[in-house]
Amino acid sequence: MKQATDKKAMLTDVEPKPRATIVWGTALVLVALPFVISVPLSTEILIWTIFGLGFNLLLGYTGVLSFGHAAYFGLGAYSAGLAIKYWQVDILTGIAVGVVASMLLACFIGALAIRRRGVYFAMISLAFGQMLYFTALSPLKEITRGEDGLTHIMATVNLFSVSLDKPKHLYYFVLAITVVMLYLTWRILQSPFGKMLQAFRENEERAKACGYNTTLVKFFSLVLSGLYGGLAGALNTLYLGYVPLTSLFWLTSGTIVMMTVLGGRGTFLGPLVGVAVFLFLQNTISLFTPRWELFVGAIFVVIILIFPGGIMGTLREKYLSRKMVKLQNKAADFQ
Amino acid sequence: MISDIPLNVILMQLFFGLALGSIFVIMASGLSIIYGLLDVVNFAHGAFAMLGAYVVFCAVSLSGNFAVGIVSAIVIVALIGALVEVVLLKPLYGKDPLLPLLLTFGLAVAIPDVIKIAFGLIGKAVAYPAAFSGATKVGPLILSNYRMFIIVFTLAVLISLWIFLKKSDLGMIIRAATQDSLMVQVLGINTSRIWTIGFALGVGLAALAGAIAVPMMSATPDMGVEMTMGAFVVTVVGGLGSLGGAIVGGLLIGVIVAFTALVAGEYSNVAMYFCMAVILLIRPRGLFGESGRE
Amino acid sequence: MLLRTDKVSKHFGGIHAVDGVDFTLRQGQLKSIIGPNGAGKTTLFNLIAGVYLATNGKVFFKDRDITNLSLHKTSRLGITKTYQITHIFPNLTVFENVRISAQSRNTAFNFWRTTHSFSALNERALDILEQVELLDKRSLLASTLSHGERRYLEIGIALATEPEVLLLDEPTAGMSCAETNLCAELIKKLNKELKLSIVLVEHDMSVVMGISDEILVLNEGRTLAEGTPIEVSDNEEVQRVYLGEGKACSA
Repeated sequence: MKQATDKKAMLTDVEPKPRATIVWGTALVLVALPFVISVPLSTEILIWTIFGLGFNLLLGYTGVLSFGHAAYFGLGAYSAGLAIKYWQVDILTGIAVGVVASMLLACFIGALAIRRRGVYFAMISLAFGQMLYFTALSPLKEITRGEDGLTHIMATVNLFSVSLDKPKHLYYFVLAITVVMLYLTWRILQSPFGKMLQAFRENEERAKACGYNTTLVKFFSLVLSGLYGGLAGALNTLYLGYVPLTSLFWLTSGTIVMMTVLGGRGTFLGPLVGVAVFLFLQNTISLFTPRWELFVGAIFVVIILIFPGGIMGTLREKYLSRKMVKLQNKAADFQ
Repeated sequence: MISDIPLNVILMQLFFGLALGSIFVIMASGLSIIYGLLDVVNFAHGAFAMLGAYVVFCAVSLSGNFAVGIVSAIVIVALIGALVEVVLLKPLYGKDPLLPLLLTFGLAVAIPDVIKIAFGLIGKAVAYPAAFSGATKVGPLILSNYRMFIIVFTLAVLISLWIFLKKSDLGMIIRAATQDSLMVQVLGINTSRIWTIGFALGVGLAALAGAIAVPMMSATPDMGVEMTMGAFVVTVVGGLGSLGGAIVGGLLIGVIVAFTALVAGEYSNVAMYFCMAVILLIRPRGLFGESGRE
Repeated sequence: MLLRTDKVSKHFGGIHAVDGVDFTLRQGQLKSIIGPNGAGKTTLFNLIAGVYLATNGKVFFKDRDITNLSLHKTSRLGITKTYQITHIFPNLTVFENVRISAQSRNTAFNFWRTTHSFSALNERALDILEQVELLDKRSLLASTLSHGERRYLEIGIALATEPEVLLLDEPTAGMSCAETNLCAELIKKLNKELKLSIVLVEHDMSVVMGISDEILVLNEGRTLAEGTPIEVSDNEEVQRVYLGEGKACSA
């Protein structure tokens, strides 16, 4: 039997005490971002990153593919917008309303569909996304203003009597929330719950045999993901000052899928990298042609064929395979 | 409500619903065949249907013959499908099962833009074929000839599909490969080619659905999404991999959409999703359970 | 009786994979289920583990009816299975594979504390790796292990759930004779040192002869013979069924 101190030493070697360096480093880069690229683009990157962090928890870490994530984004956006417009609540309450609404929707969809096999869930989620889109388009158009989107939501954006009307002020407000969400995500991934999600994606059957209730875990992951989606949607309402009907459109769901896969599903920075690259591509291509979907779709197809791990996933694979060779050599030396 | 509506209007709407449902049935059968064989849910299914619609538009403009349009839609789109399967999907088999699904989704995003560049954003209308224009009076009902044609034609397509799968050698191999592709491989049959044929057949059916829908709704670049959605809802309700499920689910959804359009017009786009939600509430695994492979 | 089945049956369509089998396991016993291919070994096993619903009959664990409990519920009661085809978490490290399993009992839904801070849990994972002789490989990705090592890792994952009954489905499948003998020794050690009750499904009779307390022989879904290794090997019907079957590794 080895000594207890031996085990302690072994533990630090097998899993060093985790430090959130990656979160703080990213935060620093994001603080400087609006000085490098335009403020609106920077803000968009933050909002989509929050959306992507939540989507990545579901797709990248739990292995559940939702093709209707626009539902959470759009519902968050509309709920926040409606609360601010009709109830005149302050923006923090508005955001909270958006988040809660999206989480409730995730509970509803999860209860109905998360039991179904993966392909069915992908189809059902897309269908629910479309259902919300068409509901906002015509039956509820008295409230949602249908095709025009929800406009004239607020005169000014104020946070406790501090005006956020200047784009840069709003950017740093969104940044603060983004950093909180990055840290939250990082904590989740270091926790038993986060490790469990990854185990799920790796081998659901084995996880069941370990005593995990797979349905329940997927359900929690979906609701958590709904929280991020609702938050991103609500922030988008503050940023745009209105809610476009397209926030519920299927292409919005598709965009977050493409961003996350492009950046690297199941990697911590994947969503941020994917969002940045995607928005850069979209903006650049739009300068030349309105048909950016063709190019983005084609690039996405190529990525799937050549780098299915996405940008960060491919880099991580390279790094891990090198590390494994080293470790194996080390183990061989011992024997 | 519905009791105030005269019987003949209800029957008319039922007729409309069956015609609409027929298109869903053909879409969903194609989706099922592809899933059964390749384990891939084809998210670009509607995009292929849209391509079929545009082929009909071109062929009818050139030849003036609707039958030529339908045949060329099936053949051309099936060939495109075969190409897509060989070049894009084949490299992904045996890897992460999400990848082919994501890939077809990428196609669903990209393909409509190709059409927008080639034909512009405005829809292209195709006239009803001369033989089926106008309407026929049946008792108190006035039924559009073209919709009658769709219902009869769909029936014919389904019967031939059924005969093909049950009786022909190729059909039997496809059914066997749907059950167990390894077994078919052991028998010395080239499953790789069967997959290509299966995918081509599936998207060919999608093209057929798009083709026969065109005179009623005209071809637009973005029509694919709604057609995909129709096929998905039918599949969720009826179950993947069963033709019976596709038929019952398709007709049910078609009729429900038609009746909603009658009593609450603004809900007609939402009706099929509500219907899906309700069925999921009552029967979480769909009307016929989940068939096909785990 | 720790575990028993009462005339349990499983029919797949017209095929009676398991047909009215009575199976018993006492506390601390190592019992093997053997039989030729298609005898219903794995099916019986999966009926006990809750993978399949029984067509007829009942399964009892400590006199509690567990017939219709699902896999994760039987696991929580203390019955954990391994798979005939290796089921591990390939892209996690060997250490994480075991810890995921170890944490399933109490800390699974904690999403704020880091796993690093659960030192008792982590030390337990290391102890288990030591038991299954994988301590040196703890930092490797599970996908880089050899076939034999993966089989051991899977046993480790099962051990980490702190089972009372360990169900091992052909743990030596695909191993060479030398590896098979080592693995048989490991199983015996787990049974003796950890006082684990073990059900072992094996295709190959010689593996189980040396280590089992009792053996149940299945053929075509029914019990052919049951008893100590000597009783079973003397049974003429067993000899007839087993003539020229499978690999033979003498322990």
